[in-house]
Amino acid sequence: MEKMTSPYKWGMVIDLDRCTGCGACVVACQAENNVGLSDKKEISEGRSMQWLRIERFWVGEYPDVRVRFLPVMCQHCHDAPCEPVCPVYASYHNPDGLNGQVYNRCVGTRYCGNNCPYAVRVFNFYPHEWPKPLDNQLSPDITVRSRGVMEKCSFCIQRIRRAKEDASGEGRLVRDNEVQPACAQTCPSEAMVFGNLADPHSRVARLARSPRRFKLLEHLGTHPSVCYLKGGGREHV
Amino acid sequence: MSEPIPAAAKSASQLNDELLSSLRPPSRSWWLLVSLLGLVVAWGLAAFTWQVSHGMYVTGKNRPVMWALYITGFVFWVGLSHSGTMVSAILRLSKANWRRPILRAAEAMTVFSISVAGLFPLIHLGRNWIFYYLIPYPNQRGLWPNFRSALLWDVTAITSYIIGSTLFLYLGMIPDLAVVRDRSTGWRHTLYSVLAMGWRGTASQWITYQKASTLMAALIIPVAVSVHSIVAWDFAVTVVPGWHSTIFPPYFVIGAILSGVAAVITLMIIIRKAFHLEEYLTPLHFDNMGKLLLVISLLWSYAYFVEVQTTWYAHEPIEWEVFSFMSSRYTPQLLLMLLGNAFLPIFCMCFKRLRRSIGVMLVVSLMVNVAMFIERFLIIVPSLSHKNMPFVWGSYTPSLVESSVNLGALAGFCLMYALFVKLFPIVALSDVRELEERQAGVRLGRTSLPSIAGKE
Amino acid sequence: MEMLGIFSEVESAARAAEALVRAGFTEAQIDSLTSVPYPDGVLVKRKRRSWFRWIALAGGLAGAASGFALAAGTAWVYPVQTGDKPIIALYPTAIVTFEVTMVSAIIGAMVGMFLEMGLPSLRKRPYYPAIAEGCIGISVTIHAGGDVVACGAGVKAEECVGISASLPAEEQRDLAEEIMREAGAMRVIVEELT
Repeated sequence: MEKMTSPYKWGMVIDLDRCTGCGACVVACQAENNVGLSDKKEISEGRSMQWLRIERFWVGEYPDVRVRFLPVMCQHCHDAPCEPVCPVYASYHNPDGLNGQVYNRCVGTRYCGNNCPYAVRVFNFYPHEWPKPLDNQLSPDITVRSRGVMEKCSFCIQRIRRAKEDASGEGRLVRDNEVQPACAQTCPSEAMVFGNLADPHSRVARLARSPRRFKLLEHLGTHPSVCYLKGGGREHV
Repeated sequence: MSEPIPAAAKSASQLNDELLSSLRPPSRSWWLLVSLLGLVVAWGLAAFTWQVSHGMYVTGKNRPVMWALYITGFVFWVGLSHSGTMVSAILRLSKANWRRPILRAAEAMTVFSISVAGLFPLIHLGRNWIFYYLIPYPNQRGLWPNFRSALLWDVTAITSYIIGSTLFLYLGMIPDLAVVRDRSTGWRHTLYSVLAMGWRGTASQWITYQKASTLMAALIIPVAVSVHSIVAWDFAVTVVPGWHSTIFPPYFVIGAILSGVAAVITLMIIIRKAFHLEEYLTPLHFDNMGKLLLVISLLWSYAYFVEVQTTWYAHEPIEWEVFSFMSSRYTPQLLLMLLGNAFLPIFCMCFKRLRRSIGVMLVVSLMVNVAMFIERFLIIVPSLSHKNMPFVWGSYTPSLVESSVNLGALAGFCLMYALFVKLFPIVALSDVRELEERQAGVRLGRTSLPSIAGKE
Repeated sequence: MEMLGIFSEVESAARAAEALVRAGFTEAQIDSLTSVPYPDGVLVKRKRRSWFRWIALAGGLAGAASGFALAAGTAWVYPVQTGDKPIIALYPTAIVTFEVTMVSAIIGAMVGMFLEMGLPSLRKRPYYPAIAEGCIGISVTIHAGGDVVACGAGVKAEECVGISASLPAEEQRDLAEEIMREAGAMRVIVEELT
């Protein structure tokens, strides 16, 4: 049994000084990944299906109120707590550094959802439907999940796969900026940067070396692939 | 033992008649009970079918509380299954004579509660119809389940425990099955003959049997301890604040023994009343079970105190948050739990008069199990409600479907038990009669004292 | 051939067993049938060493091997990286191996026990249902003719035959029946001569 290695180590940097909290990334993710539509009732029950959420925190008292935005998606931890607990290997670590979710293997024990400290995993409590003409929007590159299955952000693995196929067809590696998940592609302020952390010259690797960087819940030792940048001037915001 | 010898020693036939009174043709109240239980089971099954056909949204679960009442039920029933093992195996190995009328009821309880517990992992799956992915069988895709997951340890352990406890119950019943075989006719005679495997009660058979009983008792105890430790690890190996605690395995085992001992007491009271076994399940037995309950309750209180104390003192923000959320949102449940698990048993079981009172024992034992169910709930739900990311903190309310399934499980257990008492001897017949045979009054000085012939 | 005398209580049964031993039957030929166990020596004496525990041990070893194969073996043939855990991890392997070992040992103990008892018995052995109601049975196993074999080391229990062995089977049977009736047997059941 050889250890699988890969020249890629996908990662993302999110610059919180650029994030405006517009939520375009959330919509893009839903459109790209056939994420189920959740109505008001479902969301109020705590069963929203968003793979990517914008956490919003209010700071200060009126009239000195400020807002902090924190987009949180699957952190693709290198020591993911969600992976060893799945009894059927539906959650696993792929050599590219992604945390993979195999929808058709998932039996729905929801252990992974409990063990994710970032609570980024969503469970299909409801069977979702796409009323016409929204069903025309469904992407053929990714399954439509049935009820009873866990799902989460995959860094748009279907786009990564497509880019890798194209690149290997041309006999090369995927270039920097060639593949972007839907959220990074859509962000109007370019707050989200995606790329290959294993390539020291890639934009994401350079940003990940910034002194403004921090990771969520670093004390848990999950080693996330997502880095956040914060500290551009107004520290108290 | 300080019980007087029965004035008129009963004949074996009479003892058989009295101890086997549960096997008489069922009375009208039995049929009524069974029908009622059957209805509740059917209701639970209907609720489960509703869930499978509609989706998990019929439960109260959400993000972040993805495990709730079903897992509470699971842990609770696994806990109850420690009754038979601990009471029966430990008392067998320590050769305590007062174990004799209690054994069978306790062992039967183990088998039925672990069977009920084994249903819950199947009930709580999001896609129950492919539960077989969890079973390791060679398939053409070359897939195997993940043994690094604590849930697979659950599968292994619960299967082992179901097999082990059923064999343990069966072993204990063999000589009694021979007795009922010889007293019955028709389909019952055929059933008991097959199960008794041709047992004749020769001296060689008895010697082998007693050695096998001791070996089985010694083997089943580690299995029982490991089963509940594994269930505890379902929680303890996670990074969920409030779950990630090294005391969980011993704490769960202690809680299970507490739950099991209390349930055995409850069952003893019911069986004693229903089948007129007042002469065999005497206040002495309740006295001793009460002492056992006291010890275990003290142990449980110690374990709980220790856990809360370290949380309070170190005051790690997220761990403290979990505990203070639990104690503020679920205050009445927390207080009820402490009352039922700690204060009531410890206070009441200190007094001999209360231990020997059937009414007090019934109330205390029922309260213990209500409190234990609440305790499981308070471990699972508050920790999940307030995990590491405050933006996704949530809460949970049980839905009708979940409560119905849990009620159906309880009714299913009672139903299996009711069927068992009508088919099989609920008191370890040969054990009780063995004591009667060997007991005699020995004159010493001015009085006659009871003594048991032979070494024990 | 086995014959069975039924007695209504312990004392007459013990008298019969004592008389049979004095008449020349060995302890190994005499057995008691009771619905409750009596301490060794009350009715008959037994010197047998149990061997069923070896079957339990064999079961345990087989279980250890299968448990290890299940936990470590299946992970080795189907390696999937999960978290920072190695493919073959120590604690999960130990836990699963332990469980399967214990359950196999338990099954082995049961199987071994039944094998040692010789149950279920292939041929029909004499029995009387009143034994369940408290009667005591004393059974004598008669060997048809042959030499006296003293019971000692290296001699199996079934092989040791007492002084009465020199008598033909029918005479042994009549002798035993007479002794049992004298001691107070309510009934004597004789198995068919094979």
